[in-house]
Amino acid sequence: MKKNKTMIFLFILPTILTLLITYVYPVIRTVVMSFFKVESLTSTTADWSFYGLSNYGKVLTSTTFLTSMQNMLLIWIVGGIITLALSMLMAVVLTSGIRGAKFFRAAIYMPNIISAVALATMWIQYIFNYDYGLLNNLVTALGLERVKWLGTDAKFWAMMGAFIFGSVGYYMLIFISGIEGIPADLYEAATLDGATKVDQFSKITLPLMKGIIKTTITFWSINATTFFLWSKMFSPIDTEASTIVPVIYLYDMVFGGKGVSVRDAGAGAAVGVLLTLIIIAIYAVMNLLLKDSDLEY
Amino acid sequence: MKKIIALLLALVMVLGLAACGGTETTETTEAAAGTEAAAGTEAAAGTEAAAAANYDGVELTMWSMWSSGEPQATVIEEAAAAFGEATGATVNVEFKGRELNQILTASLEAGEKIDIFEDDQSRISQVYVDYTADLTEMAEAAGYVGYPALNDRVVELAGYLNSIVEQPQVGGIFYDKDAFAAAGIESEPTTWAEFLEVCQQLKDAGIAPLALDTAYTNFTFYYHLVRHLGEDGVKELALNGGWSDSEGAVAAAQEIADLVSAGYLVEGAPDEYPSSQNKIGMGQAAMIVLANYVTAEVNSTMGVEINWGLFNYPAVDGGADNTCIYGGANSLAVSSYSENQQAAFDFIMFLTTGEWDQKMADTAAQIPADPSNVCNSLPGAIETLSAGENLMSWCDSINANPDLMSSFKTLTAELYEGKITTGADFCAAMDALY
Repeated sequence: MKKNKTMIFLFILPTILTLLITYVYPVIRTVVMSFFKVESLTSTTADWSFYGLSNYGKVLTSTTFLTSMQNMLLIWIVGGIITLALSMLMAVVLTSGIRGAKFFRAAIYMPNIISAVALATMWIQYIFNYDYGLLNNLVTALGLERVKWLGTDAKFWAMMGAFIFGSVGYYMLIFISGIEGIPADLYEAATLDGATKVDQFSKITLPLMKGIIKTTITFWSINATTFFLWSKMFSPIDTEASTIVPVIYLYDMVFGGKGVSVRDAGAGAAVGVLLTLIIIAIYAVMNLLLKDSDLEY
Repeated sequence: MKKIIALLLALVMVLGLAACGGTETTETTEAAAGTEAAAGTEAAAGTEAAAAANYDGVELTMWSMWSSGEPQATVIEEAAAAFGEATGATVNVEFKGRELNQILTASLEAGEKIDIFEDDQSRISQVYVDYTADLTEMAEAAGYVGYPALNDRVVELAGYLNSIVEQPQVGGIFYDKDAFAAAGIESEPTTWAEFLEVCQQLKDAGIAPLALDTAYTNFTFYYHLVRHLGEDGVKELALNGGWSDSEGAVAAAQEIADLVSAGYLVEGAPDEYPSSQNKIGMGQAAMIVLANYVTAEVNSTMGVEINWGLFNYPAVDGGADNTCIYGGANSLAVSSYSENQQAAFDFIMFLTTGEWDQKMADTAAQIPADPSNVCNSLPGAIETLSAGENLMSWCDSINANPDLMSSFKTLTAELYEGKITTGADFCAAMDALY
């Protein structure tokens, strides 16, 4: 069939233009901006002055940025292990043929269809409430002293717990779809050969889920590095060090806030570039550690 | 034929993409002249000059920080309609919500059609100053006075009067007068020692003296710190460190640590906003250090009518600034490139003076922008703000070093939690941030 190159070009032109304008241009501008002293995000390049690596130097020596990175790493590693482990556990249980699997699947996924703002408000104002919160009602029923779940010591972990609660259902569904793609006869054969459920999980499910696990870790990494809303909800009015994450640091730096008139879009751009590099590094390491499964089924 | 179909498909795709972008999602209220909505006729024109002008064919665009449906938004809509009816102008009010400040800079830089915009006075004076009109002459011609201290600060920061106060705020210690009476307290404390005595009296009467939410620990401690060091002194420390070497900083933190250890905070404080401030509405706590909006918030959240009183933050021994009072405002500015600056200014006057201002103050339970009006929600607030010659900002001196903000907030929370028990420890923790 004769190819009409003009028509092909016309068809892909809108996509290419959209990609160039909404993705490539902002990325290039952000990278360039990170090497300049820029106050306002949208100021013209005439107002920029070359700053070399000073923005990176400023950011990397900032105690607040380092605190935000530490918080982000904790979310990524600790939150990731707990979320993905819980999701996998629930996926395995719900695909094992238990009664009411559909109900539990819907119930566990439900937090994902509720607005994160509403969910966070529920956790902050009800579950963690010091005077009449669910957790402190349980604690006092056990005869113990009430706990300040949102005090400076516990606030980060309270935020992470609430975030994990809202995330498990999403990853569980991904795992369920992966497990359901594994042929049932593999498990039947393994059962006939005397393999226990644990053996089946470690010798069949896990190896065949490598690709899915890699995908979920990548998704989680993106979620952890772009963590924003929950931190905003848990530290209203002004940012707190206990819940700050790099995107909040970037946001405060670029937009300022109540009583803040100092802005530094150049340093904000440097934070954005650093976060992108982190995601790329994580993805590269993941590709090295978790090769795609060469098994066919 | 195939080519025609292909071209049509390509066209549909392009139009589809075009349709996806550019749609204004904010709610717009078009208050054209003669609109029936002008029915807000109960409130007459704010200033005679503004109402007397003829602006037939003039179209003003106002970007508001409120969301449609809020009391402030309702009054602005009605005032815009009434202004249109009186002058012939059309005022398009776009309610952008609290996140307005994220798009304002970009929009002003892009020269978007904005005649009037609304934001925190301090930000207008510093962040948007390059895009604001000089209102000095228009204000003089209109005989505008407002609150001199707030206007002076604008001139000091911006170099000229570039905004008009719309919602003034005053800060200090807000208290439940009935709780004070129940504890036998007859006069408001003026010094830190008297304040501690009041706290003890309240505690003895079974009422927790002070409510405090984590959201405001930085502001509460900032007030105390400014008493000892003054805002310039705090700024010096914020920018250069040396907290441990500052006797004032150590003393300020120590006094707060002592206040906490004496048990003068309500149980659970510092709590998550607004849990602790609501305890005043429950009769469990008597005082809070904040701005005037706390009174409306507590009343409306708890469904009560607290008998509120206000006194200035107590003076401390050897304090560098024992008189300043927190004063701030949401203000209105006219864009420097507006083609109708006089009409825009007149609408601002129409909204912020006279009966429309009174209506705004009553509807939104706030302090009137026009001192000749009456503050029904907090009697005495106008007098306090008018008399204030020495205004304190909302943590501006700390925020001069943005890198310090979040850590300062968390450390002040730890101080009020009782986790940091000495002034020296607090200052050492601050110094460790540099």
